[in-house]
Parts: sequence; structure tokens; C-alpha cells
Amino acid sequence: MPKILVVDDEEHIRLLYSEELKEAGYEVITAESGYRLMETIEEEKPDLVVLDIKMVDYNGLDLLQDIRNHFYDLPVILSTAYDTFKEDMKAIAADFYVVKSFDLTELKKKIAMALDTSLPT
Amino acid sequence: MAVFEENPDQITKADIIVGIPSYNEGEAIGNTTVQVAKGLKEYFGELSSVIINCDNHSADGTKDAFFSAPSEVPKIYISTPPDVRGKGQNLKNLFEKTRELQAKAVVVIEADIKNVAPYWVKNLGEPLLKGAGYTSPLYVRHKYEATLTNSIIYPLTRCLYGRRVRQPNAGDFGFKGELVDAFLDSSHWTDSVQQFGVDIWATTVALNSRVPIVLSILGCPKVHRTKDPYAHLSVTFHQIVGTIFDLMKVYEKFWTRVKWSKPCGLYGTDMQDVESPIPVEVNTARLHERFLQGFDKHHTAWESIYDQTVHHKLQEIRGLGLQHFSIPAQTWAKILFDSAVAYQSMNADQRRNLLDALLPIYIGKVLSFVKKTERMSVQQAEEYVENECTVFEENKPYLMSKWQ
Repeated sequence: MPKILVVDDEEHIRLLYSEELKEAGYEVITAESGYRLMETIEEEKPDLVVLDIKMVDYNGLDLLQDIRNHFYDLPVILSTAYDTFKEDMKAIAADFYVVKSFDLTELKKKIAMALDTSLPT
Repeated sequence: MAVFEENPDQITKADIIVGIPSYNEGEAIGNTTVQVAKGLKEYFGELSSVIINCDNHSADGTKDAFFSAPSEVPKIYISTPPDVRGKGQNLKNLFEKTRELQAKAVVVIEADIKNVAPYWVKNLGEPLLKGAGYTSPLYVRHKYEATLTNSIIYPLTRCLYGRRVRQPNAGDFGFKGELVDAFLDSSHWTDSVQQFGVDIWATTVALNSRVPIVLSILGCPKVHRTKDPYAHLSVTFHQIVGTIFDLMKVYEKFWTRVKWSKPCGLYGTDMQDVESPIPVEVNTARLHERFLQGFDKHHTAWESIYDQTVHHKLQEIRGLGLQHFSIPAQTWAKILFDSAVAYQSMNADQRRNLLDALLPIYIGKVLSFVKKTERMSVQQAEEYVENECTVFEENKPYLMSKWQ
């Protein structure tokens, strides 16, 4: 069962994503901030990260850079309430992005695509 | 092979090399050398470094201009024999010299860039010392610049090899020293690779070597010496697209196992001042005219190369007129896939004809892109390109079904 790490500072989003993604067959763990995120990834070894861009104390795009530098091929899906982030070039290091919504159809589709991606090693 | 070498400082080992390929760049190479030397001194001062001008035996004083440029970094000049031309030949000499000097990292900077700055060396070189295997630049580009990259090189390379190298045909790039073995051992060294096909060839070799690839943000447009971008379109189109099709055969065992795509690493995100791209004017009526001329000249060839549905679609597109002109991404992907498949079983003359026939459809695709994005910002046009790439990836099973 693929393990997904949801990083978001809004509790209701973490709950919503957890419930729906568990129902969709994924194992879900959550983090409420970017604090010690690299260590969490190292310990938990998620198959994919869903990362909020705007958190109170952390910039998701900076965290994305850290993830790419430490875990080059770990799939990351950016999750955001606004699409202005696209003007920031840092966003191209993400596998995909989704606009936050109570309907998780798009997120589930992107997760499936990211996990289905295969490159010979 | 380099038959001419001048190595006044008797350099036998270097940690980092900046290579400057050239042919008759006597006017420009002095400034490039000065900027590169500053970059090496400022950002890699603790390492041993050397600047290598790999030249095509220029007769315009390129070598003298290179050696005359003020620099605290030692310099080496290497050249092909007088009758051998091509950037690929120059890079091959650079690869051999890299192996000899046992360099850890190599940055290639083109000789004629007017706005090259010392940080280019840092941004293309530093990731290589931190684990990247290959660095590819991200210049600021206007939506109508680099149309060959946007329409063919990026979507095809991404869909085939599964990595989102946005400007895979860039003339400036970096690679770690160990990658020279993959370059020099490559069995694929065609006439096109020896010329303008070498940039996409180098990226493709790196992709197939599975090394981590980092996109280095350069934060500005690339300003070349003034030249007409369409003057050599047919030649560069043949060399670059031909190289991509050739490499599909070489690396078929790799790309047929690739599904979807993944991003690259990114470097230079702390850049404060990102310049605006220089606007590019496009004559849509002229592009339309060239598509129609191409249709009249090549439609019989198109019928034999392309799937029947694609050929019908092209006939339909012909009748659209300039105002409603559009080549949908799925049709375009199938045209390129069908072309690549047909190319594999052809002789050299037939391949030339196939690429001749593809060129006007490419021009039509540029027209389609211009019309779709004319009211879009550069950022929105970028998203449009990304969406087209996804269509290529979605249609890859079509290519796979026809490939064998």
C-alpha cells in the first residue's frame, strides 16, 4: 500500500485528505508544518508527498527545493488555495500541483499518475 | 580529434573546466573568456581550474583574442584540423581533454553570448560539485522564442525519456567529469551530432545515463550576436530533429520502459533579479503561407507517412484559413510519432525527404501556438506548453503500438 505524507498547517485539510486518501487505498501520515520535514521523510519513507505551499511558518516552495535536493525522485504534489504560485519558477520542481478543493478527484488522479510514473533505474 | 593544442601553462590536471566552443568568434570570445575567468575565480577559487577554447581552426583571430583576454585562470587552446567544422567536433575534443585532465566538473559556454556573466559559471557548475550529473540552463525566454524547442524538442524528449528538461537543446550546459565516458563511448556519432545536433545529443546521453539532472536558472534572456533565426532553419531542423529520431533507435530499450515524466532538480532559485524576456515579433500570414505551400508540395508524402486519421486532419486544417488555424496537440504528437517510426526504415535520401515534408507542418504548429497564446502572458503560454507535453505523454501508447 503506497504511503502518502500530507504536509499542511490546516487541520481540516489534513483530516479531509487523510480520510479520503485512506478510503482510496493509501496509507496516510500527516505533518502540520515543515519542521524537521527532511528527517520525517527519511524516517517514514513515504512514496509521495502532498505539500501545502502557504503555511504559517514555512514556504512550501522552499521545502520543495529541500526535498528535491535530498530526495531527487520523490514525487511531490503541491497543494494550494491560490494559483499565483505558478509565477514562481521554484514550482517547476513539483511533479504536479492541485488547487485545494473538497472534491479530491483531481488530487487522486495526480497521485495515481505520480505513483504510476516509471523511469528505468 | 584535436590536432592543434596550445597549453602555455602546461596544465596537466584540473578540478573544473569551462569549455568555450567556437568558429570565427574573434570579436566575441574575448568578453566571454573574461566573464568566465571571473566566475571561476569568484566562485571556484579554491579549486584548480582551466578555460579551454575548443575551436574549428578559425581564421579570424579567435585564438589570439582568447589568449589576449585578461584572466587569472590558465587557458588551453585546442582545435580541429583546418577542414573540420562543427560544434560537435569541438565538444568531442573537449571531452577527450576532460578525460586527460581528470576534471570533476565541466561547464560549456557558447562563445558569442553578449550578456554572459560570471554567475553563469556558478549556476551551471556548482550543482555538479553537489551531486548533479548534468546541468541544463533555464534562460528567460519570450513565448515565441525557441519554437523548435517548445514544439518538438521538449515535448518529444520529455515524453520519451521521462524527465522534464525544459531547454534540452541549450548550447550552454554542464556535466560531471565521469560523464565523459558516456559521451566518448557513445556509438552514435553522426554528421548531425558533429554539427548542431550535439546539444540535444549530449542531453539525451545524460538522460540515458540516469544521472541526476538539475535545471539552472540563469534569470535572463540569452543574447547572441545578431543573426537571422530563420536563415538556417532547414539545416538546424534536419540536424536536430534527425538526431532525436536517430537516438530513438539507439535508446529504444530505455524509452519504451518510460511512463509519464518527472521533474528535474532546480538551482539558482535565490536569484533576486529576473529579467523580462525580449519580445519576439511573428508574421502569422507568412507562416500560414509557408504551411499552405508545404501542403501543396508534400501532401502526397504526408499521405504515405501519416496515419489516415492524421492525414484527414491535415486536410481539414488546410481548409481552416488563417483566422481559425489550429493544429491540436494530439494531431501534432501523432505526426511526430508517425514521422519517427517511418524514419527508422528509410535510407538517407528518404529521411531527408521526410524531414523536408515535416518542416512545413512544424511551421504550421508554430502558427497554431502563436494564435492560441497571443493573448496569454509568458507564464500562461508556459502552462500551455506543459499541457501539450501531457498530451504527448498520454499518447505515448500510440507510438509504442507503431514502433515495433
